[in-house]
Amino acid sequence: MTGRLARWAIVTTATILSLAPLSAGVQGGGGQAVSRTLDGRPDLSGVWQVINGAAWNIQDQNAAPGPHGAPWLGIPASRGVVEGNEIPYQPWARAKKDENYKNRLTLDPEVNCYLPGVPRITYMPFPFQIVQTPTYIAILYEYVHAIRHIYVDGSTHPAGPIEWWMGDSRGRWEGDTLVVSVRHFNADTWFDRAGNFHSEEMQLTERYSFVDRDTINYEVTVEDPKVFTRPWKMSMLLYRRKEPNVQLLEHPCYSFDGVAVGTRPNDKIAPGR
Amino acid sequence: MAHRWFGSAVAVVIAGTLMAPQYVGGQTATSAEKPWDPPRTRDGQPDIQGYWSQRSDITTYSIQAGFVDREEHTRIGGQNPQKGRPVIDPPSGVIPYQPWAAEKAQLHHAQHRQPSKPEYFDPVSRCFEEGVPRMNYQGNMRVLQFPNQIVILHEFNHHYRVIYLDGRPHVGDTLKLWMGDSRGRWEGNTLVVDVTNHNDKTWFDIVGSFHSDAMRVTERWTFTGPDRIDYVATIDDPKVFTQPWKLRVQIGRNKPEEQWESAICEGNKAVHVAFGLPW
Repeated sequence: MTGRLARWAIVTTATILSLAPLSAGVQGGGGQAVSRTLDGRPDLSGVWQVINGAAWNIQDQNAAPGPHGAPWLGIPASRGVVEGNEIPYQPWARAKKDENYKNRLTLDPEVNCYLPGVPRITYMPFPFQIVQTPTYIAILYEYVHAIRHIYVDGSTHPAGPIEWWMGDSRGRWEGDTLVVSVRHFNADTWFDRAGNFHSEEMQLTERYSFVDRDTINYEVTVEDPKVFTRPWKMSMLLYRRKEPNVQLLEHPCYSFDGVAVGTRPNDKIAPGR
Repeated sequence: MAHRWFGSAVAVVIAGTLMAPQYVGGQTATSAEKPWDPPRTRDGQPDIQGYWSQRSDITTYSIQAGFVDREEHTRIGGQNPQKGRPVIDPPSGVIPYQPWAAEKAQLHHAQHRQPSKPEYFDPVSRCFEEGVPRMNYQGNMRVLQFPNQIVILHEFNHHYRVIYLDGRPHVGDTLKLWMGDSRGRWEGNTLVVDVTNHNDKTWFDIVGSFHSDAMRVTERWTFTGPDRIDYVATIDDPKVFTQPWKLRVQIGRNKPEEQWESAICEGNKAVHVAFGLPW
């Protein structure tokens, strides 16, 4: 018995050591097991948020004054989340990205507080909450109370063409990794405030896997043959919000004076039409 | 009869003890009269999960009794006038406004078809959130249930509510939320939700029935059968009303159906039309 136990211990240790930290999945560096649901899946439930600068720019970003007339509320420097820091635009698309950047104060769909699309919603600087059942996972976002419905029931994407702001999400488990296929997007959302964009042909593959019980590694592969020369990938960590009183509040910025239609600076009201 | 009542009360208590010890204290006369025993979640709550929508034949046009509103609704909307009468208390079916508030409600009503400024235009038509209780008579909902929270997903304009059951206190008084701050508990077959921290911007209907940010809504979601929920909201707002009043909505179970995207602000032109703004 002792010999078998020792051998098991050695094998287990070797297995753990051979796993890269980001793919540990079952156990984190602290040795705490990831919570599991009754059906044995990793339990993604909880409130999560990124800590990065991807909302401003998914590529490397130097510190800069803010674009909104209050320079001290600047843009923080940040490391990019794009693999290799390179987005493989086709030449026409790179020119369009540069135009988007120049005109971002008016062209960015965020200035209207529209649904920001996927994956942008993930790294908006607001918390989001995941609720999980065996066949369905919902992600509730504080930002404009967006909801993602992720069906994990073996169903396939509805037949298109459909153009949705948040796409259509179908998930499946590959071991302890939740893999979500997202398609049926419109061409009206961007990736960030720096003008990075896609077309309605974009298809995403997201992978959610635990690093430890309070950290999820989030990877997303972007495919869009109309805009890019090859698929490319982003990755980042999602951190669990652990404050005992944490709960989602509201950020319905479309209702703010100055953003809501009828209150925008150039809206001239003609009552009684 | 007396001993039969006693017997069933004992049975309820015993069943409660075995199945849901944490909820026994809340057994009410209503549940004793209607001894329907709902399926339960693993942690003992009545299992309220599934797909629901209102069956009361009421609309968000006007929640007050009165044929004038109904006639107007038919004329401008081309829909059948609502026959439901959501305001059940006071029995007149009329919201018990304080005098100044009745004047303001009349102003809203007079303005609602041709508003002179955006704040006189129905906030939902401006794509803002519905608030509680209006959300519950607008479109379908899906309920997910967990030991510490009940989550309601509304398809219309992707509203959601997280109703905490874990006894945590409400958020601070100065935080104001379109959908309020919800804390729930079970009393027998009734989910009682205390909703506070409302802002003063949501309306109860299109014609401008309104409240202040002092509003407190107590919702009672009573499971009366496998496919029925009797929903009563008590609206208490001493800044606007002369007394608390009650609104009732009958809710029925729907067949399971996927909720799909309902992007309202993104394509909304109602305000452009109302105020002659270029698209």
